[in-house]
Amino acid sequence: MHPREGWSEDGPPRPGVSRRSFLRTSASAGLLAGGLGPLLAACSAGGPPAGAAGTTAIPLPRPSNPVTWPLFKDNPVIKSGLQPEQGTLKIYNWVAYINQQCLKDFAKKYNVPVPQVTTFNNTDEAMAKLRSGQVSFDIFFPTIDLMGQLVYGKLIQPLNHSYIPNISQAWPDFADPFYDGKWRYTVPYTIYTTGIAWRKDKVPENPYTMANPWAMLWQPKYKGKVAILDDYREGISLGLMKNGIYNLNTTNASQISASSAALLDLAHLTNVHIDNNDYTEVPAGQIWIHHSWSGDMAPAASYMPKGVPVDVVGYWFPPDGRGPVGNDLITVLKGAENPVLAHLFLNYMLDLHNGLTNYTYTGYMQPLNGITPQRLVQEQLLPKSLMSTTVRPSDFRRGVMELQLPVPANALWEQGWQRVKSA
Amino acid sequence: MTTTTATPAPAERAGTAARSALGRLRPRRNPWRHPWFLEGWTWLYLLWSLVPVGIAVLFSFNNGQSQSIWQGFSWRWYFADPVNSVLHDPNLHAAVIQTVRLAFYVTLITVPLGVAFALGINRWRGYTAATFNFVMILSFVIPELIFGVAMFFVFTTLFTTVGLGTLAETLALVTWNLSWPAIIVQARLVTIGRQYEEAAADLGSTHWQVMRRVMLPLLTPAIFASAVLVFSSVVDDFVLVDLLNSNSGNTPMSVYIYSQQKGGNGRPALNALGTIMLVMSLVIVIIGYIGYRWMTRGERGSRVDAIATLAGSD
Amino acid sequence: MAVRVQRLPRRRQPREPHRLFWAVLAAPGIIWLTVLFIVPFYAMLAIAAGYVNQVFGYPVAAWNPLQWSSANLGAAWRDLVGTGAFVGPIAVRTLIYVAVASLLSLLIAYPTAYFVARFAGRRKGLFLVLLIAPFWISYMMRMLAWVGLLQPDGYVNKALGLVSLGPVNWLGGLPLTVILGLVYGYIPYLILVLYAGLDRIDPALIEAGRDLGLGRVRTFLRVTLPMSRQAILTGMLITVLPMLGDYYTNQLLSGTTGTTMLGNVINNQLSTPGLQGEGAVFSLFFLLALMIPMIYYVIRTNRTSREAM
Repeated sequence: MHPREGWSEDGPPRPGVSRRSFLRTSASAGLLAGGLGPLLAACSAGGPPAGAAGTTAIPLPRPSNPVTWPLFKDNPVIKSGLQPEQGTLKIYNWVAYINQQCLKDFAKKYNVPVPQVTTFNNTDEAMAKLRSGQVSFDIFFPTIDLMGQLVYGKLIQPLNHSYIPNISQAWPDFADPFYDGKWRYTVPYTIYTTGIAWRKDKVPENPYTMANPWAMLWQPKYKGKVAILDDYREGISLGLMKNGIYNLNTTNASQISASSAALLDLAHLTNVHIDNNDYTEVPAGQIWIHHSWSGDMAPAASYMPKGVPVDVVGYWFPPDGRGPVGNDLITVLKGAENPVLAHLFLNYMLDLHNGLTNYTYTGYMQPLNGITPQRLVQEQLLPKSLMSTTVRPSDFRRGVMELQLPVPANALWEQGWQRVKSA
Repeated sequence: MTTTTATPAPAERAGTAARSALGRLRPRRNPWRHPWFLEGWTWLYLLWSLVPVGIAVLFSFNNGQSQSIWQGFSWRWYFADPVNSVLHDPNLHAAVIQTVRLAFYVTLITVPLGVAFALGINRWRGYTAATFNFVMILSFVIPELIFGVAMFFVFTTLFTTVGLGTLAETLALVTWNLSWPAIIVQARLVTIGRQYEEAAADLGSTHWQVMRRVMLPLLTPAIFASAVLVFSSVVDDFVLVDLLNSNSGNTPMSVYIYSQQKGGNGRPALNALGTIMLVMSLVIVIIGYIGYRWMTRGERGSRVDAIATLAGSD
Repeated sequence: MAVRVQRLPRRRQPREPHRLFWAVLAAPGIIWLTVLFIVPFYAMLAIAAGYVNQVFGYPVAAWNPLQWSSANLGAAWRDLVGTGAFVGPIAVRTLIYVAVASLLSLLIAYPTAYFVARFAGRRKGLFLVLLIAPFWISYMMRMLAWVGLLQPDGYVNKALGLVSLGPVNWLGGLPLTVILGLVYGYIPYLILVLYAGLDRIDPALIEAGRDLGLGRVRTFLRVTLPMSRQAILTGMLITVLPMLGDYYTNQLLSGTTGTTMLGNVINNQLSTPGLQGEGAVFSLFFLLALMIPMIYYVIRTNRTSREAM
């Protein structure tokens, strides 16, 4: 791996950290490079060891600036028409993010051993291990902001579309998404929104009728019962939206510090909790208003205490669609030992039936044509009161994604968040 | 050892003084009476300490995914649930095996290494010894995360033949836990003093004989205590192993438990796993106790003596 | 008439040749620590004084001391004492929490260990098993169980309700909860160490004190306590120092920003791309601050063991 990629017009590009990090502050994070061998050698020469000075720029994909990643000669597509390997597929995924049942069914279908899942707690850790070259997986579930590193670092291989006909079952957007033109390297996995979950029986206000629903959290009368997500992108974005700013990839320092100030204010007013346990806390009534992810709230029914109906839990996302949305991806890693099988797995996960099976476990839906809110309610996979946790294609197209930031801006976001967390 | 500096006054005078100091109204109490206060204190502490253990065991039989709301009794997480129970989830199997494997490897390496180190450093005076003693303590107080990060770095860029995986985890854990036996054995050595060694030497034994027949038996409680601590420390550790694992085959239970707490969408099977581990540990201790009794049959007296010796008294 | 006594040559180290034996015994440990601790420690220094890869955001270590950069040091210093510094108050708060927690731990652990060591008699085995039990159940499981008990509608509040004490929001950022959590997490180690130390005290000495007229309390103060000094010192070492670096207790039992400890700050920085160098610097500051108690422990232990000779 060669850390030689360069600078964009804005300055040295730097990948933002995943917004979907379950464990932003986990102990296992914060990682160092692998593959620093060449750097080490360079160190003995004079001058600071910089990974900077390159000539090609890593583009930052945006809806207004779609990117088609290049193909590299030393990272070829596998040939078509091959037979799948009979080995154990090795999957590298978030914790509890795929239904074991899906894996078992896959194994039965292709007559192979059950795929083995290794988990990571956040993307820094995952990327550090992948870069180190000391791990060997077939499939990886990244977030969009990692695309640059993955492609230019030659960590993932381009896909051979002939093995993945089920792409037709996914929303047409994903046949040519802005972050991966012509779906060269990825297929979509889950799709989700960030909104506010609240207990209707404890909180009389209805965010659908409020002037500034994001400010719902800033009410001192709910002191001790308010929580926000432990993720620097989500946190600062919340502050931005409360202040009326909807550019969630802003590089404007004063906007970022205003957001940070708003969050500090929130901490003082409500003694806000910062955690990712919305999926248990809101059903259990420990937290009454939680900034949360759609997929965390969908399975609320299985966390409700005995005798409490699930319709006391509500989930709000802006009806005009102008709120944070995101999707995760599935990729095949370059050193995969079972590349054909991996491709078939990607195909398998794009199938409607498997998507529904997966949903019953994770609560996160996939952008497949057959997965509609009505269908989920009809099949009793989702209570009617939580229909808002599903994502419609219109939401996805109007929503704002939290994407890769240039280096200095990312540093501002991180620092702003550090202040909030250490108030 | 410090000695008391009380003046050797006759008992009567002290008794009178005590009585007058406390006031004549205070009845004379038996100084050898059973310390009810202390016993109550101990039981209160034990209750405080063990109630959560009971709760963890209880919730392993919970019929739902919640850790705090009781949803009915079931064996679901042990074997009834066909996908997510301990019996049916291959990742959990691998995790248990890895936990036990790591715990044994690390304990077997750390305890002898640490004991030898403690003995050597303590008896070998000099600046080198003191320096390494200091380094050992440094390894104890360093925050685990920074140590883990540095180890990850070292294993992926410097000692790349080690790489990531069980070997890396073992090496890091041994280094991390070396201070347990080192500190505990040193503390014990300090209180034992040199008299036994010197007596044995005077009687003509060589160093090895002194070690084997005098020091090690005297240190058995400390060695045992440090083995228990190292074992449980490894079972609990999640920072180092999370950083140094390379696939689910070398990921121990602690990482799963930690991820569950921080947002993995519910793996209550882990409570079941924890209960199983508890039962397993109890079984191991019972086996160890029976084994010890069998090994020292004819030498030892009552059962309590045996347990007490294993755990700390002489 | 004075008799001339021939002075024996005074040896500084009795039994000189035996030093080699002890050195050999300590050698494997020393080599291990050198390769697997000192080297990573240097790696930590190299990261603290290193750079950040501008493309991918990971830290780049500066192995050669000539290339060390002070950027991270500057950032850390600013965050510690500069304008808008947020680490200073957190450090003070951490010290207070740990001081209270360790005192509380000692107050709880000492009587318990004392009782089991001296008065348990036939039930000593039972008590020991119960004392060691926490080591078998993962620390995290126990703490998670406490989180369940401390919920606003959990059993603790229910019990308080029985005696008409209001429900307390235990998990809403109460320093008391964090302190008690620290105590809970570290006290089993303290008890074990204290037990091992108290157990060594010869009951005959205590009886002698009694016989000589001291009451129970004074026997304790003048006989038992001084003899358990080393045990207390060791116990404090293994309790206080790790407590200072603890981050998990606060994360689990509070989750709000009003009770963050130094360990949380370091943890957050090490988890943030670009701030890892600063996190490494703070770890070094932390270790530097701990030097004093560590040196005290080493000197004290050496002195006590020399007195014991």
